[in-house]
Amino acid sequence: MNFSLLARHHRLISLVAACLSLSISLSFGLGELKSWQQIEWLDVLGEGSVALLSLVWIMAILASRPPGKVTTALVVGLSCFLFSALLDWFDEFVHYQAAAEGLSVIESVPAAFGMFIMSYALYQWHQEQLALNRQLQRREVGWREHQQIDFITQLYRVDYMRGQIDMQLRSKDGSDFSIVMLDIDNFDGFNRRFGTGEGDRLLREMSELILMNLRNTDLACRYAGDRFILLLPNTDLSQAQELAQQIKTAIGHLAFKPAQQGTAVYQTLSFAAEMARVNDGVETIISRVNQQLNAAKSL
Amino acid sequence: MQATQRPMVGLEDKFIKAHQLAASLIDLAMSRGVDKNPLMRGTRIFYQDIKAGSSQLSADQVLRLVANAKSQVGGYDCSFQLGRRLFPGNYGAISNALLNSRNMQDALRLLHVFMLHICPFMQGYSYRDAKQYHLVINDTLGCGEQWQFIVETYFTALVAATKLLLGRRLPFHFDFPFTRPRYIQEYETNLGFRLNFSQPILRIRFDLEWLKAPFNQQSQSLKWHAVQQLKQQHFPYQGFVAAVRDNLRYKRNQSLQETAALFAMSPSTFKRKLQQHGVRFQQLQDELGLQQAIYLLQIKRLNNEDSASLMEFSDIPNFRRAVKRWTGFTPQQLRLD
Repeated sequence: MNFSLLARHHRLISLVAACLSLSISLSFGLGELKSWQQIEWLDVLGEGSVALLSLVWIMAILASRPPGKVTTALVVGLSCFLFSALLDWFDEFVHYQAAAEGLSVIESVPAAFGMFIMSYALYQWHQEQLALNRQLQRREVGWREHQQIDFITQLYRVDYMRGQIDMQLRSKDGSDFSIVMLDIDNFDGFNRRFGTGEGDRLLREMSELILMNLRNTDLACRYAGDRFILLLPNTDLSQAQELAQQIKTAIGHLAFKPAQQGTAVYQTLSFAAEMARVNDGVETIISRVNQQLNAAKSL
Repeated sequence: MQATQRPMVGLEDKFIKAHQLAASLIDLAMSRGVDKNPLMRGTRIFYQDIKAGSSQLSADQVLRLVANAKSQVGGYDCSFQLGRRLFPGNYGAISNALLNSRNMQDALRLLHVFMLHICPFMQGYSYRDAKQYHLVINDTLGCGEQWQFIVETYFTALVAATKLLLGRRLPFHFDFPFTRPRYIQEYETNLGFRLNFSQPILRIRFDLEWLKAPFNQQSQSLKWHAVQQLKQQHFPYQGFVAAVRDNLRYKRNQSLQETAALFAMSPSTFKRKLQQHGVRFQQLQDELGLQQAIYLLQIKRLNNEDSASLMEFSDIPNFRRAVKRWTGFTPQQLRLD
């Protein structure tokens, strides 16, 4: 797990700490400890795990989300719930005097209040997710498998593409789609000249540029090395070639500035396009487009 | 000849420079977001030593690092990307010698002598048929589970290096003993499309005319200078398993006792040492038998009688059974191939 986001949440972490200390001081300050015989250990276990797990959930949210409105609402809501859960748990260890009887009466109020805030937060989260899905358009289509994302380009790897091509082939009207394979010319030479770190950065920027040139229904994935593969639904061969040509032109104009030098370096791209045929399989269409690309590059 | 007269290394000997393969692999893994502590865990490699550029690692340490990288770097392209980074890299004199070599034939001759400097895990021997040059590749140090990763890495490096030296891609054919992997795209993009999987031996082949195709940066004097530098380094000549294999090549039926004596070891020490490298004596004998049978039947196109007598089998049915057991094919099928 990666905890680097935690450092950016100091306010929310103080809030959680405040919840913890307030509930401890209220219960143990106002109450009297029970004797061992009076403690119901089954309740201690049940209520303790509720409190502990809500704390784990808060930590999970803090570790996975950047600061913002939705994160704050989620953590505040869960903290209220945590507060109630803790009071409930500490109840098992202490008696309250008559003056503090009120505490056990009101202990469930923060939980209910917290649940309302959580519900609001979840609605906001839903809105946020829709916005993120729109951002991810052309990187994924209606299916999410985060294990298949390529680290360098943040596109999906070819496994994901295979699944999507398979779905297209199975769908009723799915046979009229095209596949495009793109390959950077002399990428090895670039890596030797500027280093592999810059090579990785070039791949990342190129993948952004490729995405910008796609339609909302298209999908781009990293194939292998410096090869990218595109899935273009409802597209015939000439449309696919036109779109690939547009990407080629866009890449040709990308003025990439390597770290060590101020002047720009330009790249060229080779591509091949193929349309799906009747009775095509995933591998046959991919190997057809690969062969065509190799012939074009005269490998 | 006593086999031990030539300097020889095992899995535990520290002779691999840390700033070469290991440093490239660590850089690659870290650029993919892997943390260096879990990456180095159990390898007894220290990051500081690598930066200092003076430390030497054993093959065992490098293989442990490979195992860690394999499990921690996502995707399937780690070995292939590593291969692309290897040459010319930080290899010094051997890289210079290869860079300035005349052609493939010249480069292969250099590699044959100085293989341990650049690729300590592999050993190759070559032969030709009417059309093609064949390079059969064996494991020198006992790479075990990391063998496929090592093969992917160095084969990618070979393809990338010849492309650099020739200025174009040389059409290699590759025969792999592995099954066809799901990540076939990496093989195709990095090694080309002439791939055969589930083969009895690991082999690189290319058409004979490529042996003499001139390299771009050839320079006899720079090459000789580099070769002189290489000769001055006191470097081991051969890996232990490779030495045993060489010793058995033409005496396949030599017993374990006889071989151990040639290596100046007691049979039990010899056996233990082989075991340490992940191989058994019988396994080496079978492997050599397999390779010899393929050579005689497929390349020389000899009939069963001649092949059997050359391989010291007393009768044909025995020979046929052995071939079938080693390769999964009958002699007839092998000749047709």
